[in-house]
Amino acid sequence: MTPISAAAPEARKTTKAAPALPGGYAGRLLRVDLTKGKCWAEPWGPYDMRETLGGAGLGAMILYRETATKGGKANVSWDHPDNRLVLATGPLAGLPVWGTGALTVVTIGAQTNGPTSTQANGFFGTNLKYSGYDAIVIQGQAKDWVYLYINDDVVEVRDARFLAGKDTWETQDALNATLGLSGHQLSVYSIGVAGEKLVRFAAIQGDYGHVASKNGCGAVMGKKKLKAVAIVRGTKGLKAADSRGVMQAADDIAYDLKTDPSAKSLYLWGTLPGVVNLSKLGALPIKNYTTNVPYDDLANWEAPKLREGFDHRGHQCNACGMHHCHMQVIRSGRHKGAVVDEPEYEGWSGAGWTIGATDQEGVSWLNTEVDRACVDVNEFGWVCGWVMECQERGWITKERLGFQLKWGDIEGAARLLGMITRREGLGDILAEGMKGAAERLGGPAKDAAIYTMQGSAPRGHDHRARWEEMLDTCTGSTGTLESGVPVHVAELGLPTRINPFNGEEVAMLVAGIRGRRHFEDSLGICIFTGRTRLENLCRALGAATGWNYTLGEGMRLGRRTAAILRAVRLRCGIGTDKERPSARYGSTPTDGPAKGQAVAEQWERMVDAWYAKVGYDRKTGKPLPKTLKDLGLDWLARDLWGKKA
Amino acid sequence: MSVLKIYPEKCTGCLRCELACSYMQTGEFQPAKSVIRVSPFEGHTSYAPYTCTQCAEGWCMTACPVGAITIGAVGAKDVLDDTCVGCKLCTIACPYGTMFYDPDTRKAFKCNLCGGAPACAEACPTAAITYEDVATADWLGDFARERTARVLVGVS
Repeated sequence: MTPISAAAPEARKTTKAAPALPGGYAGRLLRVDLTKGKCWAEPWGPYDMRETLGGAGLGAMILYRETATKGGKANVSWDHPDNRLVLATGPLAGLPVWGTGALTVVTIGAQTNGPTSTQANGFFGTNLKYSGYDAIVIQGQAKDWVYLYINDDVVEVRDARFLAGKDTWETQDALNATLGLSGHQLSVYSIGVAGEKLVRFAAIQGDYGHVASKNGCGAVMGKKKLKAVAIVRGTKGLKAADSRGVMQAADDIAYDLKTDPSAKSLYLWGTLPGVVNLSKLGALPIKNYTTNVPYDDLANWEAPKLREGFDHRGHQCNACGMHHCHMQVIRSGRHKGAVVDEPEYEGWSGAGWTIGATDQEGVSWLNTEVDRACVDVNEFGWVCGWVMECQERGWITKERLGFQLKWGDIEGAARLLGMITRREGLGDILAEGMKGAAERLGGPAKDAAIYTMQGSAPRGHDHRARWEEMLDTCTGSTGTLESGVPVHVAELGLPTRINPFNGEEVAMLVAGIRGRRHFEDSLGICIFTGRTRLENLCRALGAATGWNYTLGEGMRLGRRTAAILRAVRLRCGIGTDKERPSARYGSTPTDGPAKGQAVAEQWERMVDAWYAKVGYDRKTGKPLPKTLKDLGLDWLARDLWGKKA
Repeated sequence: MSVLKIYPEKCTGCLRCELACSYMQTGEFQPAKSVIRVSPFEGHTSYAPYTCTQCAEGWCMTACPVGAITIGAVGAKDVLDDTCVGCKLCTIACPYGTMFYDPDTRKAFKCNLCGGAPACAEACPTAAITYEDVATADWLGDFARERTARVLVGVS
């Protein structure tokens, strides 16, 4: 049955004399064993709630406790029935704080075969909390396609054979029709055909346009034969310790988002301004990193222009006032009339600039096709752009691919997407992800591919001009950006400006913010509405739960979570030798704003500085005993270091 | 008098109004007990909130056999819990579907304009719900006529 690490503490059992639950929590975890077809509710108590919060914190602890093998020396692989798929909310989910429908997926991912924590929004978290659960923990593998149905206390593993072969939007349509529900009365998160076919960078998509995309979490769901999770908007109540306080904190967060320069453009335009802003830094990835000079007039890519080009309508997540998520209708061209999700910056980049596209309506359509097939749009962009470059240079012939794919060819890119999704022809190799495909092809083609040695591809930026994100992606334990984007760094005592091409300054910044993102991802709040001062988030959490919660405790929670994820990563066999970019990813830009800035020259020094600052051992990658003890993780210190701790 | 007005084109379907309303109604965040409800339209692309318009006819008051629905200080029809016997006649009589029945308390419940400071209007981040002074409580007829002329123009 479930392997449990020898030293990791068991979850404290709730007893009759247990103190009252903190506000903001439903108080139960929903356990699902797909092998046995059983579901049961597991109460969890105030101690564990404060120690792990929810989301990434809870998921990391569950992975550590429940996926170990060989007495804690190794870990189950992504495709093992004992791998856990944790779909977690947090204490703010379901409350009237902006963007609190969040879902955090924590599992052993299919790309790095190591841990991941990846987030989406919509109404999953809200519907789950109002059904009476804080998280779903899925283990086992079903024999044939099933979906999980949750309607308050009615929880069933149902036959999903009628959903097999459907894309994610079709799956939600079909479940709405089957269950007689519409709108946010039903939140559906599902995999597309890519997940069914175990494409290594398959994602989980829900509520028409929200994607938990990283590290192949969709392949994990596919391996478990779980097509979808469908949650009816529950009828239970959610108490906050101080409801008025929650509203006040929510208003303060909203004020920050509307007025602070670091968030105001997000409030107004979502992530659309990223295209123009990142291009000014040389961080817009263009044609598979072959250039940093935009090939199209950027005036056409300003945020208002991108939004003006479509008939659109707000499609916000729970309680959110950001002008961010939108549905839009394509006005003209081949896909006229198609309803699509407005691409995030990452969509304009992955389905646009990375593959040399200029047709905005086409990019918008392709981006939603990627969500429907359900792969990570970033990794798709890298794979597609790489194939385009390989064809241009003759490394992949027309005969090998089956057709000629030129830069900017949207319909061709969609054809490639279909081949990857169904694992047809060369698509079967490409479905192994950027690293897997590049290593299979080898030669000069391998050196043109963008990935980390851990096994996943970075997000849709040219990190050769954003060293902090390259460092974070390569050293992280989630297969993607782990510590995230620096916001309100003065709150953490960090300098507000650094030289972005000074490796040591970059390392100090990345190490300094380490923990903030883990904390945010444990709350059940969107990363964009979390872009407020931590003090505000702590106040919202305190009002919800009744705890006196400080910024220091939040960062400590985040750093504990990071350390636990690191321990799981090491148990999965991903050591420090894998903390490097691929040749192209770590190359030097030859043009554009970051021309000549050579990250490779400073790489080792930058990583050394990062290790020293975070208090991890440079050689083994383990968090040092003192670091762990300072975080109150004495048990983990004993696990990792034995008697030396 | 002041009434709640709805601007559907501004609604993004975030359902924050339901959370705020349920908190005022029950002391908890429990959208199932909200008296403002957001409905989806046009598949999953369009949303609009809807609640009691405090209509002049007062169908719920007329139907109530025990006189449990009265008009409060701010002009809102409100249910007197002590008098309500939970017969649900008001929920049948209301042509707008904005009278509700709570199986836990076994009483009818409805929008009472939060005593003059509606939480839904306060909570709405896009001003799709506003609390406005109007000449007549029955603004819905004008609303329907205006939208028919504007939105359905050319539709036969």
